[in-house]
Amino acid sequence: MSRLLNWKTLLVVAGSVAACVAPLVMADLTFFMRTVLAAIVVTGLSMLMGYAGQASLGQGAFVAAGALTVAIGTTRLELPPLVALLLAPLVAAAFAALVGIPILRLQGHYLAFGTLALLLMVQAAMSAFDVLGGAFGISGIPAFGVAGTAFSGQLPYAYLALVCLGLVLTLTHRVVHSRFGRGVRALAGSETAAESAGVPVGRSKVAVFALSGAYAGLAGALSAFFTPYVSPDSFPAVESFTYVIMAVVGGLGTVWGGVIGAVVISVLLQVLNSVSSQPGLPPTAGPILQYATYGAVLIATLLFLPRGILPSASAALGAGRRRLGAGAGG
Amino acid sequence: MLHVEDLVVRYGSAVALDGVSLQVEAGEMVALVGPNGAGKSTMVNTIAGLLKPSAGSVRLEGRVALVPEGRQMFPDMTVEDNLKLGGWSIRNRDLAEVLDLLPDLGSLRRRKAGRLSGGQQQMVAVGRALMARPDLLVIDELSLGLAPLVVDELADHLRLLNRERGTAVLLVEQEVGLAFDVCTRACVLDAGRVVASGTSSELAGTEVVRRAYFGDLPRPEDLNTEDMNTEDMEEVIR
Amino acid sequence: MNELVGYLVSGVALGSSFALIGSGFVVVHRVTRVVNFAQGSLAVLGGMLSASLLGGRLPHGVGELVAVVVCGAVGLLMGILAVGRRGTPPLISLIVTLGISLLASAAIIWLWGQDPVSPPGLSGSMTILGASVERQRLLVLVATLLTFAALALVFSRSYLGKALTASASNPFAARMVGIDVRRMGLVAFALAGVLGGLAGVLVAPTNALSFSSDLPLALSGFAAAVFGGLTSPLRTLVGGLCLGVAGQLTAGYLNGSYQTEVALLLMLVIMIARSKSFVAEEAK
Repeated sequence: MSRLLNWKTLLVVAGSVAACVAPLVMADLTFFMRTVLAAIVVTGLSMLMGYAGQASLGQGAFVAAGALTVAIGTTRLELPPLVALLLAPLVAAAFAALVGIPILRLQGHYLAFGTLALLLMVQAAMSAFDVLGGAFGISGIPAFGVAGTAFSGQLPYAYLALVCLGLVLTLTHRVVHSRFGRGVRALAGSETAAESAGVPVGRSKVAVFALSGAYAGLAGALSAFFTPYVSPDSFPAVESFTYVIMAVVGGLGTVWGGVIGAVVISVLLQVLNSVSSQPGLPPTAGPILQYATYGAVLIATLLFLPRGILPSASAALGAGRRRLGAGAGG
Repeated sequence: MLHVEDLVVRYGSAVALDGVSLQVEAGEMVALVGPNGAGKSTMVNTIAGLLKPSAGSVRLEGRVALVPEGRQMFPDMTVEDNLKLGGWSIRNRDLAEVLDLLPDLGSLRRRKAGRLSGGQQQMVAVGRALMARPDLLVIDELSLGLAPLVVDELADHLRLLNRERGTAVLLVEQEVGLAFDVCTRACVLDAGRVVASGTSSELAGTEVVRRAYFGDLPRPEDLNTEDMNTEDMEEVIR
Repeated sequence: MNELVGYLVSGVALGSSFALIGSGFVVVHRVTRVVNFAQGSLAVLGGMLSASLLGGRLPHGVGELVAVVVCGAVGLLMGILAVGRRGTPPLISLIVTLGISLLASAAIIWLWGQDPVSPPGLSGSMTILGASVERQRLLVLVATLLTFAALALVFSRSYLGKALTASASNPFAARMVGIDVRRMGLVAFALAGVLGGLAGVLVAPTNALSFSSDLPLALSGFAAAVFGGLTSPLRTLVGGLCLGVAGQLTAGYLNGSYQTEVALLLMLVIMIARSKSFVAEEAK
């Protein structure tokens, strides 16, 4: 068992080093940022789906909440960037709790459609009310900075995002292994069993949902500073579906599943983009390939590799090691 | 007409039934008794075709219908619909025969099954099973949660059914008294194995049956309770 | 007054399509406890197919019928993926149907491109209550009412309908009496395919559909189904009509582009209202 842990630690260290070096060698960091921010959102979504057994098809609503907090906070309310950044996850979490308290009492599909409805309504509200940006969105978001300094260029944002991802992963690890986390994990199995074991079912579900909302809000805030522009089109429904696909592929209910899913799907998307922009293919090839791949990957993963990449790989590695160990008399 | 030979059923690595053999001939009433966890429900579900044997065989000549533990109604559907669905396997929607055998069901026809009392639901469950015109009726825990008077009435119906229609009955029961009362033959199941079988009169009150339920406790008659204080008695019970 | 009647009528016509899509959700959920996210895709498919078939190839009536039948077959395929495997938890099935809707979008772009498509419908208009009403919209309403009447009859009177309801009411007991619960699920999906396809065929002549229409259609249909607690066809019909009318009134008197959002807001309100009374039923 300790040998398996070493494998994992090795991978984590290697991955972290690669993540820190990558921004230095890449010319345009948009792809990098999008992947890291997606990883933050999906880590939260993976917790929600894997532990609380609830699906959210509109997680973008909370990304938007965080992004709007930063956009409005810095441009209309003259808040310092750091304050806006810290406020964003709190606002998003509050939003999630507000919505979650009534709807989490219902069966799972109500939350799935409810969050999607919420996302569409947030988009509509953004284009309807000038306070939220109106048709043109909110631009002119100042660069992020602390105590008078200001970021210049894309590089500082990449490292800020990585730091945030690290914080999110650490927090997730602590939550998962805490007493609260164990209670929540029981929920995914059977709510009545968890309830009789003393787990406060309703509150736990809302807490996990709010936490996933906070992660999404943080990602939204970071993207608002990076872009630096927020409009209703910044949060299309497809993006929220992509988060679900990343969560499923990476492995629901694991700490690292979000990162793995985000990286795998983002890379896949890049590959599809370059394939579909080959000469000789019609302009519709792009969307066709994208939707087809998303759909196929999602269905195939759910039906054939239902636990996602991380748990299946761990299990396979574990089994392989046991076989090797037994053969060597270990 | 029911021949179970060396039946083995596993749940993952746990063995629920370990080489069980059982016979029910046409028109017989046989009891299968045993404590909680003996494997009775596993037996029932395998005979009804809901579970697959890991080894051994279950051979049926004729139709079998199940009256499941806990009644298992379709709660938002009417009694009439519950009964009609019972006949799904032979597409029998004609309630006349069953209402004839269980006349009390007539007044309950339009009621929602989920609203009935335990005893009424049990009667519906029996009626539902009978709609499939079975040759063998398997009843799992008839008496569970029911008042003794209600159970007696149901038992009378079963005896009537057996006498008039010749339906064989396999009564799977925790309540030993009821089982031996209604059925002529019995098998005792404990921890997945048949530990005794024979006629009811042979088995009633024997060592084997008692031990299956109570382990190796001394019989009440063997204890000299006058010399014991409360603590000793508690020790024995524990 | 004329205007109001006009809005009511178009609202009812639009709401009928919501109700039909909603009925697809209800049929699948009643039998399998699964929510089929791809219900909207079925409607889009139906509309697009009828446009292609009617464009000079097949006559009116036949073209629509073929489109609906094909959608039924597609619904069956969806069912195989979503509930074909025994023991798939309903939430996983929901996400599988999300994947199916993405595949459907890809197929629709591939076959029909990204532009909106509108098949020819009934032309001309009639006068009702002093307002001019398009014949197509009347057809939609009549077809919807007939369909719902048929659905209600099937579920409450027919043996198959009872078996379908029993499959979700108590799957163990259903299997026990010999009902093939998995096959019932497939029947439900095929039926939902027919209902979705019909919705698309009826609504496409007046509201052009494109590959991205599946999302607002699915949401509106789900909103209608929420009125009926995902189980009652009658209340789904009422819900759909109310949503359609509310949407058209918003479009007429407030702002036209927020119809879907109004429906969504109502849906959330209903969900929150239900959550007060639903607590006992929802325990796993």
